[in-house]
Amino acid sequence: MADVSFERVRKDFGTTTVVQDFDLHVADGELVVLVGGSGCGKSTILRMLAGLESVTSGTVRIGEREVTHLPPRERDVAMVFQDYALYPHLTARENISLGLRLRKVPKAEIGRRVRWAAEILELEPFLDRKPKQMSGGQRQRIAMGRAMVREPAVFLFDEPLSNLDAALRGQMRHEIAQMQRRVGTTTLYVTHDQMEAMTLGDRLVVLDDGRILQVGRPIDVYRAPVTLFVAGFIGTPPMNFLDGRLERERDRFVFVSDALRVLVPAKRSLDSAVESREVVTLGVRPEHLALAGVPGPLTLRGQLVLAEVLGATTHLHVEASGRRVVAAVPSGPVPVPGAAVALSVDPRQVHLFAADGSSLLLDSHNL
Amino acid sequence: MRRAVFYVVLGLAAVAFLYPFLWMAATTFKSPAEVGGLSLLADQPTLENYRLMWARAPFGRALINSLFVATTITLSVLVFGSAAAYALARLEFPGRGTLNTVTVAVLLVPAQLTLIPTYTLIVELGWIDSYAALIAPYVFNAMAILILRQFFLQVPRSLMDSARLDGMGELRILFTVFWPLAKAPLATVAILTFMGAWNEVLWPLLVVRDEQLMTLPQLLTVFSLGGGAGPRQLAPKLAAAMVLVVPVVVAYTFLQRYFIESMASTGIKG
Repeated sequence: MADVSFERVRKDFGTTTVVQDFDLHVADGELVVLVGGSGCGKSTILRMLAGLESVTSGTVRIGEREVTHLPPRERDVAMVFQDYALYPHLTARENISLGLRLRKVPKAEIGRRVRWAAEILELEPFLDRKPKQMSGGQRQRIAMGRAMVREPAVFLFDEPLSNLDAALRGQMRHEIAQMQRRVGTTTLYVTHDQMEAMTLGDRLVVLDDGRILQVGRPIDVYRAPVTLFVAGFIGTPPMNFLDGRLERERDRFVFVSDALRVLVPAKRSLDSAVESREVVTLGVRPEHLALAGVPGPLTLRGQLVLAEVLGATTHLHVEASGRRVVAAVPSGPVPVPGAAVALSVDPRQVHLFAADGSSLLLDSHNL
Repeated sequence: MRRAVFYVVLGLAAVAFLYPFLWMAATTFKSPAEVGGLSLLADQPTLENYRLMWARAPFGRALINSLFVATTITLSVLVFGSAAAYALARLEFPGRGTLNTVTVAVLLVPAQLTLIPTYTLIVELGWIDSYAALIAPYVFNAMAILILRQFFLQVPRSLMDSARLDGMGELRILFTVFWPLAKAPLATVAILTFMGAWNEVLWPLLVVRDEQLMTLPQLLTVFSLGGGAGPRQLAPKLAAAMVLVVPVVVAYTFLQRYFIESMASTGIKG
């Protein structure tokens, strides 16, 4: 096992830069999730660490070793792919053991490791089947077993659950987390799935356009997103945004828009936004909106478009001043669609972003 | 009723194609008196024509020569063709696009056009009357490269990545990952190449004069050109032709499943 570090790593494909100024240190045994939209460079970062993609500039280290220009087989990493990448002509046992056989590991040791992985992943009944005779979940477990028996310094997961149905995805997510904790191998995990990103990682790295936007514990990133992009990207349903201006009322700051007035926590950084009269964006998570009994000056008024009852929670879709806002409220009696509703905003839980997308309420980027 | 008519038409077509071959096969077992008849059964079956054919020319040696030459060419085309196809399909290197274009362009050049330059080269190399002369010009085949490249392009990139992480080099990836996946296109290339090499007459006639080095179709051609066309000569010639045809039919019978599968997937017409 080892720690992993990227130092000012850049990747160009022709004239297109897909990763730039990428600096990240992953501690020994840590599970870090790289998350971002399509084309943000997250898979490229994983492939550069694996040696499957060259690095245009910068340095990649695994432990004390610089591996920037080493071929994949010399890096001691194992990877689980989105499409599992199992050899179709080999049985599950052969798929799992092939990497060890190529490394000339003694037969007895190969047998021991295959049994160990099969037991953890509950694969014993399928070891002599070929991939096409197995379900998606079983194939995924074979791919994980193949990575585990290598006992590598680093595990890499490239959207490994994308091809599974929702129920199986939940189960496999749990198994991956369990397996990683059990073997304690440093892991980088790429996903675009919110749930995986929030539940799996010790830390989350949010990427956009080849750059790191924020690194932190998932809950910290959720509670304190440093940019508008991160705020909108992390969280399901996503954060609600309203454009408006900031005004000062004596020693208080008030966000004012067509639909809403909200008191916001006082910060020195807000002074310039008030003076410049620039358009700012208020962000509020759905769970921080509540149905207000009586409409007031500090409530968001609108028309209920749709109520989605999910069980314990109901999502209220409200049309307010031409914008769709979603509130997540405890299930109970809800107004009928078309009814006028008022939503109160918890002023301690609002986020405020400048025109350039940076947070106005956080002192510094959590990088 | 329509189905019955359909089967009758298909049946007649099958007979039209099969009858000449069956007649040839039957005639090889007939006595000279029966050779001219259209019957598919010999009244007094005999192996005399095969004995005569074997006695008059070294057909046994020619059979071995043909097997050796066609097998060597086929294996070479599979190995070198798949290696080239793998590089053109899956490796990044400068000039790859140009090489792909050149490979297609080679198909447009008729073999007759390169016959004399190749012959001159073989003479200059001193390879006349040798196996090298029969084999060397055929060890690379543009059609094989194109068929295999087309298939290799469809192999998921992650499979290669996975193999690299498992510790495989490019040649091992080709032979232990791509080859098992490419049974159908490899079988197609094998059959087409083997049939082409097995039936080749013109090139061996140009570069081999030593009877001991002649291939089966070459010896058959030489054998057929001498001795006249009477019944006594015709049946042994047909027996020689049977010896030429049977190995190809046997090979096709074993590989036809892959062959048809690959033809269907690559869109190549036989």
